[in-house]
Amino acid sequence: MKKILLAAGVIAIISIVVFIPGKRWARAHVNYKTATDDHPLKCTDCHAYISKSPLISRLVNRDYFSPVNVTVSGDGKLLFVTAQDADELIVADSEKGEIIKKISVGNKPYGVIIDKAGKKAYVSNQWSDNVSVIDLDNLKVTDTLATGNGPAGMSFSSDEKHLYVVNSYSSDLTVIDLEEGVEKKRLSTGSNPTNIQLSPDGNELYVTARRAAIVPYGEPMATELTVINDNSKRIKTYLSVESAYLMENVAFTPSGDLALVTLIRPKNLIPTLQVERGWMMNHGFGVIEQKGDGRIIQLLIDEPQAYYSDPFDIVITPDGRRAFISSSGVNLITVIDIDSVRQLISESTPEMLSLWSNHLGVSSRYVVKRIPTGANPKGLALSPDGKLLYVAEHLEDRIGVISTESLEMVNTINLGKSHRVTVLRHGRKLLNNAGRTFQNQYSCYTCHPDEHEDGLVYNMASKDMGRNVTNTQSLRDIGDTPPFKWNGKNQTVYKQDGMRFSTVLTRTEQFPYKDLDAITAYIMRGISYPPNLLYNPDGKLTEAQKRGKKIFERTTDNFGNIITENNRCVTCHPAPYYTNLLPADVSTLAASDDSILFDTPHLNNIYASPPYLHDGRANTLEEIWTLYGKDDRHGLAGDMTKIDLNDLVEYLKSLRGPAYEINESKIQRASIRK
Amino acid sequence: MRNKMIFTDIALALLSSAILLTSCTGNSGEGMIIITESVSSQGKPDFVTGESWRYLPQTRLLAFNPEHPDESPEIITPDFYSARTPEVSYDGKFLIFAAQQNENEPWQIWEMDLGSLKARQVTSSSDNSIDPAYLPGRRVVFSRLSQNDSLKAGHTLFTCNLDGTDLQRITFNPHTYFAPSVLKDGRVIAISRQVYPYLDEPAIMVLRPDGTKAELFYKGVKGNKPVSRGWETADGRIIFIESENNSYTGGKLVSINYNRPLHSRKDLSQSMEGDFRSVFAMTDGRTLVSYRTSENDLYSIYEFDSENMLLGKKLYSSTTANIIEAVAVYEHERPRKLPSEVDMGVKTGLLLCQNINVTGMSSPETGFSLPLADRIEVIGVDSSLGVVEVEKDGSVYLKVSADMPFRIRTLDAGGKTVNGPGGWYWLRPNERRGCIGCHEDNEMVPTNRYAIAISKDPIVLPVHVSGIKEKKIELE
Repeated sequence: MKKILLAAGVIAIISIVVFIPGKRWARAHVNYKTATDDHPLKCTDCHAYISKSPLISRLVNRDYFSPVNVTVSGDGKLLFVTAQDADELIVADSEKGEIIKKISVGNKPYGVIIDKAGKKAYVSNQWSDNVSVIDLDNLKVTDTLATGNGPAGMSFSSDEKHLYVVNSYSSDLTVIDLEEGVEKKRLSTGSNPTNIQLSPDGNELYVTARRAAIVPYGEPMATELTVINDNSKRIKTYLSVESAYLMENVAFTPSGDLALVTLIRPKNLIPTLQVERGWMMNHGFGVIEQKGDGRIIQLLIDEPQAYYSDPFDIVITPDGRRAFISSSGVNLITVIDIDSVRQLISESTPEMLSLWSNHLGVSSRYVVKRIPTGANPKGLALSPDGKLLYVAEHLEDRIGVISTESLEMVNTINLGKSHRVTVLRHGRKLLNNAGRTFQNQYSCYTCHPDEHEDGLVYNMASKDMGRNVTNTQSLRDIGDTPPFKWNGKNQTVYKQDGMRFSTVLTRTEQFPYKDLDAITAYIMRGISYPPNLLYNPDGKLTEAQKRGKKIFERTTDNFGNIITENNRCVTCHPAPYYTNLLPADVSTLAASDDSILFDTPHLNNIYASPPYLHDGRANTLEEIWTLYGKDDRHGLAGDMTKIDLNDLVEYLKSLRGPAYEINESKIQRASIRK
Repeated sequence: MRNKMIFTDIALALLSSAILLTSCTGNSGEGMIIITESVSSQGKPDFVTGESWRYLPQTRLLAFNPEHPDESPEIITPDFYSARTPEVSYDGKFLIFAAQQNENEPWQIWEMDLGSLKARQVTSSSDNSIDPAYLPGRRVVFSRLSQNDSLKAGHTLFTCNLDGTDLQRITFNPHTYFAPSVLKDGRVIAISRQVYPYLDEPAIMVLRPDGTKAELFYKGVKGNKPVSRGWETADGRIIFIESENNSYTGGKLVSINYNRPLHSRKDLSQSMEGDFRSVFAMTDGRTLVSYRTSENDLYSIYEFDSENMLLGKKLYSSTTANIIEAVAVYEHERPRKLPSEVDMGVKTGLLLCQNINVTGMSSPETGFSLPLADRIEVIGVDSSLGVVEVEKDGSVYLKVSADMPFRIRTLDAGGKTVNGPGGWYWLRPNERRGCIGCHEDNEMVPTNRYAIAISKDPIVLPVHVSGIKEKKIELE
């Protein structure tokens, strides 16, 4: 008995000795990580979900489909759904709501279209740089067509002899001869295009773009809509859509009198003083008149006190009366009465139309209804008779079916994977939803489309208005690159998205800790860079890139002099993240900046993040040195020849996501499955 | 002896069970309805002082169970001379109300535990406090008379913790505020009426609980006055009573949409005789109203179908007293707890006006255009704070002493008034705020344009103030 008591006493003393300081250490650790003092002390809340262990990751995560686009067969009986996270095209029976087949395609399938005969489907594989051709008789992949970088939206030519494929990353358009199955032409488009639509008369195609043309901060922004002549397969013109970006999709009215394009009107040139009264983001659509001088009118779908963020897809009923817009950030479909839009335009002077583009009340004239959907509605498709609207509920793994007569959800088709919402999935839903922003005015996605960045420079007005403007940074693969923000003030993602996020950005109640843990887990572990197939498809560098790598890693200049360690590229930008995670002064401080050091940014997939430097002043990588690094404090560059600089830039463009840099043996080759 | 022990055991077991059950259910009166009974005849209401309108003598709070209409209601404020304006906490366990313990004493804010019916005093002031409403974070917003106020206000809004600490004034203009309530988005709406330099029509203002971003939420057509607390409904409307004449005792039951409050007024009582005294909307869609069929009748509590605009079952009435308010005891959704940008260490706020020449009076819709102004005068309560030239794009960037009311009028080069002065503004310490123009359409959003004014330091107002010693603000 004595021995038992003694043993129990020893255990108790050891427990006390370990437990008390252990708990104190844990409290200090959690307080530091979260920048709060009341985050629950439950290790698994964070560590289970940000762990890089494949075993733990497998235990806590699940696979999902994440449908992004949907199309309907000519007879309306079949649905074709691109499942972005499963690399599959899912074929479903639209009447029975049953899955018929899941066809493996390339990486991150995006768009799907079907020829008029209903014989072939084409699926663009955004991370494989190709299009899968599927025989619809036996539902098998029969061919793979090479495209440009990041294929997304597609359209047939009016004679169906050619396939147009929008290359979202390389910002161009591939024209494929379908008989030969090869690319015949490459046309330059607006920046980051995502979709293309053929006009009803078959003469023109409109290509949307998401990123605005790069201009010096302070100058008006505009995004280009590219108009292609179908007959000549040449660019007819670029339409400049002013004060708007993130034009995801476009649709023509059946009569062809109007083209409607979804868009967002950001307020990046205005200090972020308030969310009230639409001072941060507005959401709407553009109306491009096809007659006359082709006016572009912009109208909001927002209302006073209520915003309908992240419009994604738009479809128009066969009778031309209604348009449906997926408001993906608020889980709603916005229904537009097109006749009301026509009437509003016809009775408004140009001055009034200009006013309407900044007016929240005018949407009451043409918005008929908001129809609730599952999480993150993206692609839309109408049945051939226009009676049903199919909605790809991206983060619900479901197809919603809406009656266009009753304007109610009448059915849902589950795609069949886990119904369990993992922490990472919950975090992804939060990131893509505007519900945690005051009046739903924007989601994280709005400024970080596809978890990247929107290419804009913002005046965050954190101290004085007009000072310290900052270039949006990507959220991809940032889990191991603390600290965060250009000034490195946030030591963790928890702090970045905690109370300060609520005070400075969302202006509403901060995330509950469960949500904060989830969104942090998703940001830290759930977002990967797309493969850099444009500049480094297989890890084999070009000769120029190899020369550039030598320059990047050099220790002596062109005259044989030793370069001081802190003035070598590789010192501050070492692999695999190409950052040493330390603050630095590279002589880029502007007169309008407070005197601070900047957190050394990572360079993974840097080619995809123009403009450059903390305030976006450099339009290109070259300009970092040719215009803004002349004093050699941002790495020694003064000795370089033009060819040296070109080589260095070529090498920088070849940098890939950290996963590839960590494991060189991993060849990022397009996965072409047949 | 043995029997005695058994009896003791059983008694203890029963007591324990009772305690356990009580603690599990909370015994908070879930399902009860709290009503305000007014036995006094009413004098002429005074909107500024609130006498005979918000402050009524000999009112008392009663609780009754609508499931048992035969049971007599229980007086829950027997120790008070007068008590009214009840509101139930989000967890349904507490009641906050304003009360006068003894005649001629100031009205204070009290909170009652609905389980024990014990009340404790929240505020302690020599001035009257009325119309409390719960805020998230165990705080309360209420209206208090500000006597001899240098800002010439009447009643102003305050917030404090539920133990009365951390008292913060949140309105700073010469208006009088009553009947605040909290929207689901976390902001406060309240009946507001300018009292200086002239008595204006009342309207509903909205502001954050820290007093920032105050702006007009609703204003009726001339002559219509909101006279009761507004409640947000489950379907996104705000319901309140609006008087069409000078009576503050009752009026029409109206709703406005949260999404478009300035242009969505709907008279829910258009087909009904009589008038309404107050309304209470539950988050499950049910609505209670205080209603009487005619001036000769007494106000009673009814259910109301606000969707179909139909008066429902009478829930409670008295043959001798008006039943002027009702709230249901139930657990309900907590509004958002908004973060605050206010920093009391900072003495100023910043205001950016994008273009002073943008005004609702010059509009392509009306076809009318005002002459262009090139400067503004910022006017305080007693004196001008300064005349400031604006940039060529019409923008102006001001740093204004915090918590100080001001109005703006636009002037032409000759100093002649072009527009204004408009309504009263104030900025809280460290508040940053923007406006599109002067007297602009409230539904407009700003144009995405870089304002020249922010390329320079802000102009400090009042202009005679120099060298404000500011707390150093860290870069976010």
